[in-house]
Amino acid sequence: MTNDWVDVKNSDCVLVIGANPAENHPASIAWINTARDEQGAKLIVVDPRFTRTAATSDLYCSLRSGTDIVFLGGLINYTLQNRLYNEEYVKYYTNALTLIHPDFKGPVDLDGLFSGYDHETRSYDTTSWQYQTEEQPVTVVKRATSLDDPNCVFAHLKKHYARYTPEVVERICGTPKDKFLQVAELFCATGVPDKTGTIFYAMGQTQHTVGTQNVRSMAMLQLLLGNIGLPGGGVNALRGESNVQGSTDMALLYHDLPGYLGCPTDKHGNLEAYSAKFATTSYWANGPAFFISLMKAWFGDAATKDNDYAYHYVPKVSGDYSWISLFEALYQGTIKGLVCMGQNPAVSGPNARMERKALGNLDWLVVMDLFETETASFWKAPGIAPADIQTEVFLLPAVDAIEKAGSIVTSGRRMQWRPKVAESPGEAMEDIWTLDRLVKALKDVYAGSTEAKDRPILDLVWDYGDPPDVELVAREINGYALEDVKDASGEVLVNKGEAIPGFSTIAKAADPSTTACGNWLYSGYFAPADDGSGVTMPAVKRRGQKDPGEMGFYPYWGFTWPANRRVLYNRASARPDGTPWAENKKVIWWDEEAGKWTGYDVPDFSATKPPDAEADPAGAGLDAHSGTDPFIMKPDGKGWLFAPSGLNDGPFPEHYEPLESPIQNPLSSVQNNPVITVYDTATDEEIGDRVGSADKFPIICTTYRVCEQWQTGSMSRTLPWLAEVQPDMFVEIGKELAEQKGIENGDEVIVTSARGEIRAVALVTPRWRPMNVNGGKVHQIGMVWHFGWQGLATGDIANDLTPHVGDANTRIPEYKAFLVDVRKA
Amino acid sequence: MAILFDAFKCTGCRGCQVACKQWNDLEAEITRNTGSYQNPPRLSAKTWLTMRFREIERNGDGLTWAFGRWACMHCAHPACVSACPVKALYKTPEGPVLWDKDRCIGCRYCMIACPFEIPTFEWEKGLFEGARIRKCTFCVDRVGAGLDPACVHTCTTGALRFGDRDELIAQAEARIQSQPERYVQHVYGKEETGGTSLLYISHVPFKELGLPTLGTTPIQERAEDAMFATPWAVIGLVTGLSGVAWLVRRRQEMMRRKGQSSEQGDKETSS
Repeated sequence: MTNDWVDVKNSDCVLVIGANPAENHPASIAWINTARDEQGAKLIVVDPRFTRTAATSDLYCSLRSGTDIVFLGGLINYTLQNRLYNEEYVKYYTNALTLIHPDFKGPVDLDGLFSGYDHETRSYDTTSWQYQTEEQPVTVVKRATSLDDPNCVFAHLKKHYARYTPEVVERICGTPKDKFLQVAELFCATGVPDKTGTIFYAMGQTQHTVGTQNVRSMAMLQLLLGNIGLPGGGVNALRGESNVQGSTDMALLYHDLPGYLGCPTDKHGNLEAYSAKFATTSYWANGPAFFISLMKAWFGDAATKDNDYAYHYVPKVSGDYSWISLFEALYQGTIKGLVCMGQNPAVSGPNARMERKALGNLDWLVVMDLFETETASFWKAPGIAPADIQTEVFLLPAVDAIEKAGSIVTSGRRMQWRPKVAESPGEAMEDIWTLDRLVKALKDVYAGSTEAKDRPILDLVWDYGDPPDVELVAREINGYALEDVKDASGEVLVNKGEAIPGFSTIAKAADPSTTACGNWLYSGYFAPADDGSGVTMPAVKRRGQKDPGEMGFYPYWGFTWPANRRVLYNRASARPDGTPWAENKKVIWWDEEAGKWTGYDVPDFSATKPPDAEADPAGAGLDAHSGTDPFIMKPDGKGWLFAPSGLNDGPFPEHYEPLESPIQNPLSSVQNNPVITVYDTATDEEIGDRVGSADKFPIICTTYRVCEQWQTGSMSRTLPWLAEVQPDMFVEIGKELAEQKGIENGDEVIVTSARGEIRAVALVTPRWRPMNVNGGKVHQIGMVWHFGWQGLATGDIANDLTPHVGDANTRIPEYKAFLVDVRKA
Repeated sequence: MAILFDAFKCTGCRGCQVACKQWNDLEAEITRNTGSYQNPPRLSAKTWLTMRFREIERNGDGLTWAFGRWACMHCAHPACVSACPVKALYKTPEGPVLWDKDRCIGCRYCMIACPFEIPTFEWEKGLFEGARIRKCTFCVDRVGAGLDPACVHTCTTGALRFGDRDELIAQAEARIQSQPERYVQHVYGKEETGGTSLLYISHVPFKELGLPTLGTTPIQERAEDAMFATPWAVIGLVTGLSGVAWLVRRRQEMMRRKGQSSEQGDKETSS
């Protein structure tokens, strides 16, 4: 989230699209209600299904699953056509005025594609997507003086979105035009300085083959309306699990290192090559220093200047190790062992039946969980003969979150320390204990080895005590001084042995290797801090309730990364001249007398850089940015309405149909996202990567969660009180479709896709309605993915029907739109 | 004291329902999805609070999904108390309507008297096994210790509020008056059947939440008239039938012990 959960109370309009907070983030509704009660805010829900969030909304609007780019594009077009954007914000804070390479062409000219597409490799050459630059004498980006310049981003934006009219929204999304216009009128009215609108999204946006571009669409709309960096605004991802934000920050993803430093790839032969990937004209200029500090935390004395700080110890990414690819490799038998910690792929993976079959190709499988999950018991699943499975399965009982101490990070980036409050049962052990034993055992196995390849294991610093002390791990993640940390002038910033107060220490250090920091973004979270009442404690443990400005920032409660900052990009909360946009939307502002930024939040900007500061194009890091460049992580300091880099599938979002769709793309001849990987393993077998067509499977299906169960159900279907309230696998079907199929409410039905079939209880409801799409009638149904064969409440697995295809950038599976048929059992 | 339920703010998450079971240590029921989220479908000796789910279709594309709270209303003049022949049920000065399990004889007259269908009976037990009436206690054990009721405590959306009845009525009236386009202009429970400790405000007609349309006269007064004339024979009859139920159950149990399965479910026998 760019903002905090509590900050929603400052909003004038909450647009929920692709999320269902009433069911999946229930506590957030309290803050939405505060905004509604105290400032007359409106809640808009856009969703294929009428959810419990829709039930409490002021305006509900349906759309066909997989058409968010059209809907959000419609809102962008409405904003542009009606000049509802915040012009000053757009001119100063976004790249709207930046000139684009003259060879750039978009889908309007190229029938759905951007310039640079190679049909053979299914990828883009992004040369023509680049900014125009000039040498004077260093390279600078060329900017137009007027938004009317035909080569500037804004002109391209208007041209691109001119096709996304309310009529096209109605035709592709199936949303009645008048409903769409009601949403547009309400939400786009937040483009004025004293109003802000926020967008809540979750997996409904991301789990599509165009997921990243869905999210970009929201960010672009918010930039146009001037809603980023302001209280009650932002683009806010509602994370699906209590600490999934923390796991992302700590890089439990194959392509990243802690703090989003990015994994080295096989293209980065040495530290110099890796360091060169960081933009020199943004705060990322400090990336190499953060990396060195990380290496010192991991490898200690073995990381020296002479050996590139042990850069060669870090595995280099040489391919796609995302979820679907991993399971394809399991299926092919190239992966022999798997450790599953708190994860249940037998239920959660796409084309789960195929993925369960792939588990059977493993030599060994270790599952660490609270209960015997479907993954731990895949070898005795219904219909499976245990004798046919050769995989050796180990189940290690784990402890629940309340049975161990540690920090969790909310969607709002707020970190809170939680003490252990209950004893764990039986032989259940904390994850840290198990991992500690595993690492020590590995070190024993390799002890005495002289082989270079074994050095990373032997040199890994592992000194958390026995049993391991989680606070020592926290201290390392926060970062501490290995030597006295000095700045360039020789002044000591932090004494040897002390916790570093924040990542600016690493950035300022003349030698970053005098620090050891496990995640630069978290640095400061475990350093001593005042809780607002004069009591000092690790920042993350604070529970101070002072709230200067009464904006709901509560800066003394826990710690929000980065640097205890509640609103990201908050320089944009002030006008270019440094004064707040509006009295009721104050976050930070320029204090001329004191010569610094001041306010209720930690400035997301150089604290003493005045609004009228000129950019120094030859300067390093933020010196290259002017006093009106709020987006300090971007090389040009601007919010990107046009993305010249970082995306595989285009600098603007463009609508493509989901892999499985009942219609041909009405917008161009390009049916699917042109750069996705379509897997084709065992398509001729009964279990395989088969893709369904509308003639056999005419109904759109989507999957979701309900608040009574959680994820794959391993923690909720095992509890009698939750099994009682939501006892059976069900599929929600509209009345008209049910009538057509002869299905009565409560009947058992069979849902089929190209991947298989499942049984479920039919819940016939007016909350799903047929839509008119591209001149024809389209039905959508939806089902929960909480069920499996283990636990008290059991049922068939929804993901047995979902396809093995992912987003073009993140590879997240397309769980939210695929084709099925349904019949009475 | 009282609880205010704002149906508009309720999202039907049922945290209250589960918290009620957790605090009161009530066993889970074996349920089935029969085509609705509503589960358990009705109150029972093991379920003192359940949420009603209503889909209300209007003209055009209008649709409302309303969530109604179904639990004891803790009436100011409770019909159940008047109907109780042994004074097992009683009204406390603070508001909660409670029962003395040692006095209860299991006659179930309160169940017939209550206009909200609240008191439930331990059907799976026979009378001689101690089958008694059960219902919401207003969490007197929590409230007495200065806590709010479990259902209110767990509510995240602000749909439930606990406090002084007069203050809550004032809050409720202020809320509905300030947002006339959203709320029905009536506080249910302020005067219904002489007033209840559960107050409702709503964006849909109260009958859609499962609440009966009642006058302001306490049912108690009418019930007391009826009770005066109630022959003890009725109670005797009910007791006798329960005894029969117990005998049937006992025989079934013995048949089971002999290894013979009984096709008749317990529920069918006892109800």
